[in-house]
Amino acid sequence: MSEFVTRRSVLAGAGAGAALTTLPISMVTLAFGGEREDFTFTYISDAHIQQIKGASFVRNWDQGLKRAVAEANLVRPESDFVIFGGDLAQLGKREELDHGAEMLSKLKGRLHAVMGEHDYYLDLGDYWSKLYGPHYYSFDHKGVHFVVLNSILTSEQWTFHRWPTAEQRMLEMAGLDNPNGSPFMVGDKQRKWLANDLAKLDKKTPLVVFSHSPLQKIYKGWNFWTDDAEEVQALLAPFDSVNVIYGHVHQIQYNQIGNISFNSVMATAWPWPYPQSYAQAESHLPVLTIPMNRADPFFERDATGWQLIDMGSGRVTARYQLWDNDQRTVAFDHKAGHPVDVAYQEPTQRRLPQNQY
Amino acid sequence: MAVRKRAATMLAAMLSLSNAGFANVGFAGVAVAEPLGLPPVPIPPDNPQSSDKIALGNRLFHDLRFSSDGAVACATCHKDDHAFTDSPLRTSEGIRASDGIGKKTGTRNAPTIINSAYFTTLFWDGRSASLEDQSQHPFLNPVEMGLATHEPILAIARTDPFYVELFKKAFGKTGDGVTMEEVKKAIAAYERTIVSADSPFDHWRFGHQENAISEAAKRGFEVFVGQGRCVSCHVIEQDQALFTDNRFHNIGVGINRAQFDVPRLSAEFLTAKAKGADVDKAVLTDPKTSELGRFAVTDQFDVIGAFKTPTLRNVAVTAPYMHDGSLRTLKDVVKHYNNGGRSEGDPAQVNDYLSGGIRPLNLTEQQMDDLVAFMETLTTPAYFGAKTR
Amino acid sequence: MLRSTLLLALGLATIGATATRADEFTKTDIERYQKEFDLVAAKGRELWTSGALGTNGVACAQCHPNAANTHPETYPKFQKQLGKVAQLFEMVNWCIRNPLQGANLAPDDPRMTALVSYITFERRGVKLAPGQH
Repeated sequence: MSEFVTRRSVLAGAGAGAALTTLPISMVTLAFGGEREDFTFTYISDAHIQQIKGASFVRNWDQGLKRAVAEANLVRPESDFVIFGGDLAQLGKREELDHGAEMLSKLKGRLHAVMGEHDYYLDLGDYWSKLYGPHYYSFDHKGVHFVVLNSILTSEQWTFHRWPTAEQRMLEMAGLDNPNGSPFMVGDKQRKWLANDLAKLDKKTPLVVFSHSPLQKIYKGWNFWTDDAEEVQALLAPFDSVNVIYGHVHQIQYNQIGNISFNSVMATAWPWPYPQSYAQAESHLPVLTIPMNRADPFFERDATGWQLIDMGSGRVTARYQLWDNDQRTVAFDHKAGHPVDVAYQEPTQRRLPQNQY
Repeated sequence: MAVRKRAATMLAAMLSLSNAGFANVGFAGVAVAEPLGLPPVPIPPDNPQSSDKIALGNRLFHDLRFSSDGAVACATCHKDDHAFTDSPLRTSEGIRASDGIGKKTGTRNAPTIINSAYFTTLFWDGRSASLEDQSQHPFLNPVEMGLATHEPILAIARTDPFYVELFKKAFGKTGDGVTMEEVKKAIAAYERTIVSADSPFDHWRFGHQENAISEAAKRGFEVFVGQGRCVSCHVIEQDQALFTDNRFHNIGVGINRAQFDVPRLSAEFLTAKAKGADVDKAVLTDPKTSELGRFAVTDQFDVIGAFKTPTLRNVAVTAPYMHDGSLRTLKDVVKHYNNGGRSEGDPAQVNDYLSGGIRPLNLTEQQMDDLVAFMETLTTPAYFGAKTR
Repeated sequence: MLRSTLLLALGLATIGATATRADEFTKTDIERYQKEFDLVAAKGRELWTSGALGTNGVACAQCHPNAANTHPETYPKFQKQLGKVAQLFEMVNWCIRNPLQGANLAPDDPRMTALVSYITFERRGVKLAPGQH
């Protein structure tokens, strides 16, 4: 559930002692004796628009994206920009990308897009580029340096020589639990580019990296994984405050590694189980993470949603707008030095639907 | 007296269902055992039931003097012999309009009091957290009783001999000790006795009487828990059926036609609210604001156009349906759901904020009729004769 | 009559004397039976990822990778979406009808057997907890 932010609701929240570490720009112009403006951007991800046949698409996923776009447009004051976090299509088809792009086009505000594996492996991002431009790039906004990585690449062998057709390749990569899949990576070329891109920056510049895969090693069986995570993290480590925001996992996750905070975003399409619910494998879900509330499958939108991301003092607050579910806010706790769920991090505050999966 | 007559009617009705499983039914309708198909009525610890409170609440509920024109009581829109609704009116009518012509009309369909004791929030948008809290608001609403303050009520409560005696017996309070707290508690205590189950459905499902409902209704039950997908919100469980999940859902009624106005409406509403506008008054007097549903109460996008799941018990006698009374018959309701949350006259596209539980159902005509037949078995015999047409 | 009965009894006793007892099986049998199951579970895996069980191409695996979050060990249990205490196959059918927009499979349909085999296979080793929500 998301809140229509007004002066009154913000003041009410502050009065109640809520841990609002960042506030949208029109509420507070400078925070924490700040040198930078605080601002908010919208994050919508993992739409998985799936074609059934011709002009008919899986209604369930269509509804999710439509609702996220409609609600994002209601936010006042308006967000600075919108990020689409990847996996717009399910099987990378033009029809799917077009149908998704049409829905995204209703968004007010500037859109930046991140590549997902479901967008990439049919034509290696060719049509995607026509819609949304380069696969990796960077931009600056109000003193923050934003980097978009294409972190769902894999080995040359698997990409070019393993499969007889592009369709087959896409199908194989589309199965999350497919043993024939291949681990994601950022790759040499992009890491070189990243090193270069970051070289000119002051180490005090807040960094935000948008990635589809987690840039961590969480669970290989479901490709909640970036093979060169350590190398990428090493490139980010010299900076004072780094935030990685990633999609792909369709669930709430957050973590801290050194100076790097990690926040996942939700899918608009469907939720995924937490890896520890797979009895036959070991996973490494960050211990910090308090799971989202367990979903009721009757309500298609349960445990799906979109996000408002606040930037304040170079740190991220993720406000998860979950439909039919508990709203969640994960904010950087400066004392603890890592992200915390503002309501549920305390063990005594946790609710049964977060534990009983 | 009205109270005794009420109790006698209820008693007779209950006793006429000989295998209803009642332990003892006390005077003034204080049923000790819950009817077949319902759990025990939740009673808050700070307002236990007593026959004095119930008698008091009964009178307060029916008292026309608590309105600006002396002609409106709770029972005006929640009529006893209309299954506690004002069927067949679409939306409620309160005090006389200021020009003397007709009555002031609200925006919402008066829900039945029957089984309201099982709701965790009251009103279509859940803006009251208890029966006690709910009871105070209609008195002050310009389209209902139209009083400026509760003072006229208290003036009568503290001086009318009937009330003086009962407030003393029920609460041990007299004179200025009688406040709206006691009034609210009494009304709530009365409402907690308006409970009904023991319908043909209950006898079939929980009483295991194979012949209690028709074959069509049995088929309709299968649709209800199967292809119709009704059971997840209109809850039936293994040994009881509340028929409500006490949650709020946007099912496309009203909001479909207002969908293009939502951005403007929501912004306007919130500005007004920030300036101190009263939600209770706004939602009942302005039809467009009414369509925002629970959003008007919580300011959360998740519940734009969302309204509380009503119970389906006695639904056959509580037409018309939905928060705006826009669906006249049960068949109309079923068609609305079958279409995935839209009715005739709605725009082609359902609104973007539609609940994730609503989708086209592809029911056949037969299945829809069976579903209606099923819903008609949910009426308690005491209300078979409700004058709702 | 008595003579033929006696002969019959003798004949049966003779047969009985040669070796067969109760449920006799060898190690090879066990391995063969296990393979039968594995084949069916593999078929279940195929159905799980195929998207062919419904009418909209959605596959079980899209929401339940490796059959996670199906919790076969908790069935039978009260299932909110069905309004009663139900068995695993009934919930599988609910999913086929609803997110997959398909039609029920009979409980003993070979495809249902395959699906349930796959689901339980992926959950092997987990303690039974019938009735747990």
